[in-house]
Amino acid sequence: MKQRYVGQKVQRVDAVNKVVGRACYVADISLPRMLHAKVVRAGIPHGKILQIDTIEAEKMPGMKKIVTGKGCEMLFGTCLWDQPPIAVDKVRHAGEAVAVVLADTVNQAEAAAKAVKVQYEKLPFVLDPVEAAAPGAPVIHEKNGSYRRVEYSVHPIPGTNVFHHYKLRKGNSSVARAESDVIDVIVEEEFEFPLSNHVALEPHGAICRFGLDGEIEIWASNQAPFVLRDVLADMFKVPASRVRVHIPYLGGGFGGKSDVSIEPMVAYAASFVPGYAVKLVLTRKEVFTSSLLGRGMKGKMRIGAKKDGTFTFLEAEMYFADGAYGDTSWPVDTVAGHNCTGPYEFGNVTVDVYGVYTNSPPVGAYRGYGHPEGQFMSGRLIDMLAKRLGMPTGEIMRKNFLSEGRQNALGQVIKKSHGNLAACLDAVEKAIDETPLPENDDRYLYGKGVAAMMKSPKMAANAASCCTMQVNADGCVFVNLAGIEMGQGVQTVFTQMVAEVLQIPMEKIKVYTDVDTQFSPWEWQTVASMQTYRGGRAIQDAALRIIELAKDTAAKVWNCEPGMVLYREGELIHPNTEGKLTLGVLARGYMSFNGLTVGSPLIATGWYRVPGLTDPDPETGMGNAAGSWTFGCQACTLRVDRQTGEVKILHFASAFDVGKVVNPVTARGQVAGGVVQGLGAALMEKIVFKEDGTIKNVNFPAYKIPRLKDAPKKQTIVLLETPNDEGPWSAKPMAEHPIVAVAAVVLNALYDATGVEFTALPVTQDKILEALRKKEEAL
Amino acid sequence: MRILNFSVNGVPRTVHLEEGRVMLSDVLRDYLGLTGTKIGCGVGQCGACTVIMDKKAVTSCTVPAEKAEGKSVFTIEGLADGGKLNPIQEAFVEAGAVQCGFCTPGLVMRLFALFSENPEADDETIEEELNKHLCRCTGYETILEAARLSRSKMIARAKPS
Repeated sequence: MKQRYVGQKVQRVDAVNKVVGRACYVADISLPRMLHAKVVRAGIPHGKILQIDTIEAEKMPGMKKIVTGKGCEMLFGTCLWDQPPIAVDKVRHAGEAVAVVLADTVNQAEAAAKAVKVQYEKLPFVLDPVEAAAPGAPVIHEKNGSYRRVEYSVHPIPGTNVFHHYKLRKGNSSVARAESDVIDVIVEEEFEFPLSNHVALEPHGAICRFGLDGEIEIWASNQAPFVLRDVLADMFKVPASRVRVHIPYLGGGFGGKSDVSIEPMVAYAASFVPGYAVKLVLTRKEVFTSSLLGRGMKGKMRIGAKKDGTFTFLEAEMYFADGAYGDTSWPVDTVAGHNCTGPYEFGNVTVDVYGVYTNSPPVGAYRGYGHPEGQFMSGRLIDMLAKRLGMPTGEIMRKNFLSEGRQNALGQVIKKSHGNLAACLDAVEKAIDETPLPENDDRYLYGKGVAAMMKSPKMAANAASCCTMQVNADGCVFVNLAGIEMGQGVQTVFTQMVAEVLQIPMEKIKVYTDVDTQFSPWEWQTVASMQTYRGGRAIQDAALRIIELAKDTAAKVWNCEPGMVLYREGELIHPNTEGKLTLGVLARGYMSFNGLTVGSPLIATGWYRVPGLTDPDPETGMGNAAGSWTFGCQACTLRVDRQTGEVKILHFASAFDVGKVVNPVTARGQVAGGVVQGLGAALMEKIVFKEDGTIKNVNFPAYKIPRLKDAPKKQTIVLLETPNDEGPWSAKPMAEHPIVAVAAVVLNALYDATGVEFTALPVTQDKILEALRKKEEAL
Repeated sequence: MRILNFSVNGVPRTVHLEEGRVMLSDVLRDYLGLTGTKIGCGVGQCGACTVIMDKKAVTSCTVPAEKAEGKSVFTIEGLADGGKLNPIQEAFVEAGAVQCGFCTPGLVMRLFALFSENPEADDETIEEELNKHLCRCTGYETILEAARLSRSKMIARAKPS
């Protein structure tokens, strides 16, 4: 059936408020009796706290309270409880909070914070994950292995800095490797995907208030309000119902706000001044030093193939510089492992991923969640393999793509409805080949590259979305979910979906704006590109229940069977009499002329959970651990300036099989933006440390992200729609996906242009110049 | 106590500044409640805090409050005249150039300054101005489209009908 709202280019429901500056973000909120917080940061990457002297700071004007970790016994977490809200006896990274100063104004808090003196005994530090995992490395957590944890999923190696070891064992790769014929090909290489920052334009913020009645209330820039609620309840040992979390608009998230980060510290500080609200908004520098980072992978991978290009095995080892605490990164490590094959079938897979404590900010979710790191390696190696075999990269890709009946590394069998990789590849090859590349000349080198991707949403096996829906007496509908609007357009697609099921105009539908755990229905969290997919199914469920309720009431009015009542465009229809009752008339039950009322008010709750998920088996790493996949291919052409090393992306083409495009404008926006963010990772972005273990590039432009002029000259975006039974109207996750293959695509194209195999990101202008120079010298 | 007298969105304002470093962006947001101006970096690199001061686009996070003395400042709140969107705001809505919205007010103000001075600014000039801003969501294609659409709307509005 043709849809009227789903699939249409409707205007975003939040656009007007955002263009007039009325949309409210956490920094825009002020509360009565509000104190401002400034944080004293460690400034050294590893050390014992000997003494914190607050005497001078206490005397500063406007000062209200200085909170330190002295005596704090709390550890917070969701699956691995290894982090105190504020440093207690030692600091584990240079951006860690040592004291929080609360004062009447930000300036006063800042002045007082500068007057706090901390003495440390410096300890040796380690930043590199491979070094940190080696014997003899400085021990960052003496208690590694004995922290409370979910034992089925988190696998520490006590006595080391490895707090999580994920292993994947499918088939037997060493046998496959040993059985390789001399004519078979094995490629292997080492790779690096450095620590990076999400750089959501809005810095993290939180405002927390402890009531004198013991209620905890927090406003935060966070993608996971119910997780935050439960973490705070666990920290302060209060029932979750006594914690209320408010989430306003988010100015971008990209995963950097999906994990609990600064909120426990703000709440801990606020607990010392009950009755006051405590506000902290990070500076951009603090976002780099003291929120969460992403990526940070060093790895090696080996792929074997027969002479005809058929893959025989894959072996990989990855070390993640996961920073000072591990709760937010261990699942990223697991996912990086079980998806590092890319969308290809390998009969034999051995993967070991190590989540390693390092003296850097903790790593958390970052758009793509482990997939860009792992598939960077396979995407590049497959290109190298193709060159070795003298075959076009696309031919090898096609030969090994996951497709109906094939099995992925987790052992899951692919169905046709999971998506059409070959068609994605056709689409990007066609787009790129439409404009032939110029010949290399004295000034420029030209190249093209291609890679494929897959992404599964990583989620708790019990993750679900819930939706409440309420019809009002005028027939308009209020819809409530707890998906966070952070730019992706969730409020808009939800509105479209409600309109579609209830067959009423979008103007009659109001979706929630703020999320508030006191009123919002439970939602696991807004991550993994799951809102359209999972929230959409919850909406369908709720809307169908509303229709059922309305049919029940209409049947009572007409004294007939509910099953014979028809529903069409906001009206209940008697099939024989053509009698009609509107949703509005039935909204509060049906009231007859004398007031007698029958039937239920039209309010319903719907929900959806991806069925049948399990956590990966601790021994094999396999199992039904991925709820779904979205497949795609990307390709680009680029130009390298021989003199400057500058790379210009001429044309970037993306094709994803998204099942169904709910809103062509917002869907395209996700791809166009994701590609450019991926180009940042490929060519510009890296957290750089100074000799002393502090971060060097803590603001723009030292940390460079793409500007308008860095964007591709042209983007082609093709969205395929393979029908499936999973998503609402077939719509599947697609928001993180555009970033996953970008680095491999660009580096494959750089090889084509320069003949240099780059394997470490980012490939900056300087690196290209140096490589070109070396190449010339070698000639 | 320092006193700042200036005009904001056409209204004369007097603000008593606290001790220490106070920027124009702080005055607008914290003293006057004009929170439509966003702070993304604090060093004038991202453009989210862009406002118009004496007809020029400035990054308000790098303008010390004192420098606004006697000046005329326009913010995003002053742009939608009489409750109606300005053509640039309309263009951002229509072009789908808004995602998280945090960079949007600054971009709108930058273009307002540009088109007020040069209603027919060419593409190169537009790109030069937009390149002063950071957006992490859109990949810039819809922002560029919105800027071009703004130009045609501004021109159409300037012409007598």
